Amino acid sequence: MTLKLEIMKSNLFKYSYLASFIVVLLFSSKSFAQEEEQKEAFDLSKYKTVYKFNSFKQADNSRLLEVSLIVQNKKDRKDKIPVFEADINFYNILDDEEVLLGTAKTSQEGIAQFIAPASQNYLLDEEGYIHLIARFEGTKELKGKEKDITVKDLNLELELTEIDSVKTVLVKAFTIDSVGVETPLEEADIIISVKSMLNNMPIEEGTIEDGEFEYEFPTDIPGDDDGDLTVMISIEDHDDFGNLVQEKSAKWGNHLKTPVKKVKNTLWSESAPLWMYIVLTILLVGVWANYIYTIVNLFRIKKEGIQLELTSEE
Amino acid sequence: MLFGVYTFIAGILHFFKTPWKNSVLRIVELITVLSLIIGPIFILLCIGRLDRLHYLFLYPRIQSPITWDIIAIMTDLVGCFIYLYLTFIPDFAILRDNDDIKIANWRKKLYKALALNYQDTPSQRERLHKITRTMSVMIIVLAIVAYTVLAWIFSLTLQPGWNSSIFAPYFIVAGLYSGVGVIIIAMYATRKYFHLERYLRKVHFVAAGIVLLVMALLFGYFTFSEYFARWFSHKATDVQLLDTLFTGYFWEFIFANYIGVLVPIFIIFFKKFRTIKSITFAAVIAVLGLWLNRFLIVVPTLETPYLPIQDTRAEFVHYSATWVEYSLSFAGIAAFCLLFTLLVKFVPIIPMSGIIDYEREHKKSKKKNRKIVTE
Repeated sequence: MTLKLEIMKSNLFKYSYLASFIVVLLFSSKSFAQEEEQKEAFDLSKYKTVYKFNSFKQADNSRLLEVSLIVQNKKDRKDKIPVFEADINFYNILDDEEVLLGTAKTSQEGIAQFIAPASQNYLLDEEGYIHLIARFEGTKELKGKEKDITVKDLNLELELTEIDSVKTVLVKAFTIDSVGVETPLEEADIIISVKSMLNNMPIEEGTIEDGEFEYEFPTDIPGDDDGDLTVMISIEDHDDFGNLVQEKSAKWGNHLKTPVKKVKNTLWSESAPLWMYIVLTILLVGVWANYIYTIVNLFRIKKEGIQLELTSEE
Repeated sequence: MLFGVYTFIAGILHFFKTPWKNSVLRIVELITVLSLIIGPIFILLCIGRLDRLHYLFLYPRIQSPITWDIIAIMTDLVGCFIYLYLTFIPDFAILRDNDDIKIANWRKKLYKALALNYQDTPSQRERLHKITRTMSVMIIVLAIVAYTVLAWIFSLTLQPGWNSSIFAPYFIVAGLYSGVGVIIIAMYATRKYFHLERYLRKVHFVAAGIVLLVMALLFGYFTFSEYFARWFSHKATDVQLLDTLFTGYFWEFIFANYIGVLVPIFIIFFKKFRTIKSITFAAVIAVLGLWLNRFLIVVPTLETPYLPIQDTRAEFVHYSATWVEYSLSFAGIAAFCLLFTLLVKFVPIIPMSGIIDYEREHKKSKKKNRKIVTE
C-alpha cells in the first residue's frame, strides 16, 4: 500500500510541471480581477451631494413632489452614485409654521416621489404662493440637505371639441384667489403632445395669451387600435407655476386596422419553406434507408452463420 | 461535441484503406464510442432546464438550427454505433472461438451474441466489407453535416464573434485538429501502458503527426482569416469583442491562437524533431490550445451582448467559471480515461481481424507478384 502511494506521489511530482501549468492556465487573472475591484474601499469624501427638488401638477390636479439624491465624484463627474433608501420629508411652510405633507424613500435610482392629493389644503402667503421644502435629515456618513421651491397654483383646463368639424384643442389657464375670483394667465409657453407607449410625441409648441390657447389638431395622427388618442398639454419650468400637465382622450385617431396578412412557408411563419422539408426528407430518407439496408445485411450474415452451424452439426 | 470527428477519422482511415490503419483504427474507434457516450451527457448538462427537454421534440421548428442539430446528432449517433459495431464483429467472432483465453462465462456469452454467428466465410466477409464501406462513407458525410449544423447554431446568429460564413469549415478543421491530437495522446498512453511498441511504431506517430501538421496549418489559416476579417472591417461590436479578447483574455488568446498552432507546426515541421515524445507533446499543446479556443468562442461573445444587461448582479453580467464548471470539465476527462481503460479490457486494442485481413491481402499480392515475375 505504502509502495503504491509512493509511486503515486512520485508520479505526481513527475508531472507536477504539467499539472501546475494547466492550473495556472485555468485560473487565469480574469477570475480574480472582480474580487480585487470589490476590495477597493469606497471613499465618500471624494464625492459631493447633488440634491434636486421639483414639483409637478398632474392631470388629476394632484401634485407630485420629486427629489433626486445622488453623490457625484468631485474629480470624475461621470461617476455618479444614487443614494437609495434615504428618507425625504416634504413640508409646506409659511413663516415659522411647518406642515408635514408626507415622507418618501429614495428608490434605487435615488429618486423619492410623494403625491399630494388634489384635495390638499396648502398654506398660502399673501400673494397666493405655496412654499414647499424637501428635507433630507442626513445620516452618519452623509450630511443633511434641504431645498425649497415656491409655486403658485394654476388651473389648467383642456377641452377637445369639433368646431365646424375641425378638431380643435382649447386650453384655458387661470388662477383662483382666496375669494374665488378667476384671473386668466397672462402669458406662458405651452407644449401640446400626444401620449404614446414609451414617450410623448410633441406636435405643437405655442403660447397661452390672456389665459387661452386654441389649436387645430392634425388629421393624420393614428391613435390606438380603437382610434383613441390622448392629448397632453404641459407647461414646463415656469417661474411662478412650476411644471403642470393636463390630458384628455378623444376618438380623434385616424387609425385604420389593416388586417395582418398571414404568411405561409417562411423562416418566421409556423411552417417552414417548402425546400427545407424536401431537403430534410431526402437527407433523412437517404441516410436511414442505408441504416436499414445495413441492418438487413447483418441479419443475413447471422442467418448464413446459423445455416453454416446447422450443416456442420449434421 | 467532438464525438463526430473520431468516427469521421475512422471512416476516412477505413474508406481509403490506409496501410497503417490497423494499429490505430481500434484506438480511434474506442475514443469514438466514449465520445458518443460522454458528449451527449455534456449537451444535456449545458441545457440547464432539463425539465423542458421534451419541448424540443414536442414543438420542433424545422427552421431552427437547434432542431437540425437534434436531428443530425441523433442520426449521427445511430450511424456511428452501427458503423462501430460492424468493425467490431470479426473480433467478437475471434474472441468467441478462442478457447485459449480464460474469460468469464458471461463475457463468452456476450461475445457470442455480439458476433452474430460470423464465421468469416467468403460471402459473409464480402457482405460485411461491403456494408462497412458504405457505412464509412455515410459517417464521413454525417460527421460533416453534424459539425456544420453545430457551427450554424453559432454562426446563424448575429452575435459578434459567431456570425461568420467560414464557421462551418472552421469547426470541422478545428475538430479534426484536436481529434488527431487526442488520438496521438491515446496512442502514446496505450503504447506505454500495454507495451505495444511492436504494433504502435514510430511510423504511426509520424503519420499522425503529419496529419496534425496539416490540420494545424489549416486551422491557423482559418483562425487568422477569421480574426483578421473581424479586425479589418472594424464593426463596433466586433471591436468591442476584440478588445475583450486582448485585455481580459490576453494569455488565453495567445495560447489558443499562437502557441497552440505554432508550437505543433514547429515541432513536426522539422524531421529531426519527429520523435514519439515530441509528437505527443505537440498533440498535448494542440489539444489544450483547441480547448481554450472553444472557450474563447463561447465566453467573451456572451460577455459582449448587443443589449446591456441591466439591474442585475455583477456575476450575471461578467462570466467567470466556478468550481462547478471546472469539476464538470475534469469529470469529463476523468470519465473518458476510466471508460477507455475499461473498454480496453473488453475488446482487443489492436484489431486482430484487421491484421489477419492485412496478412491475407499481403499473401495475395505476393502471389500476384510472383505470377507477374514468371510471366
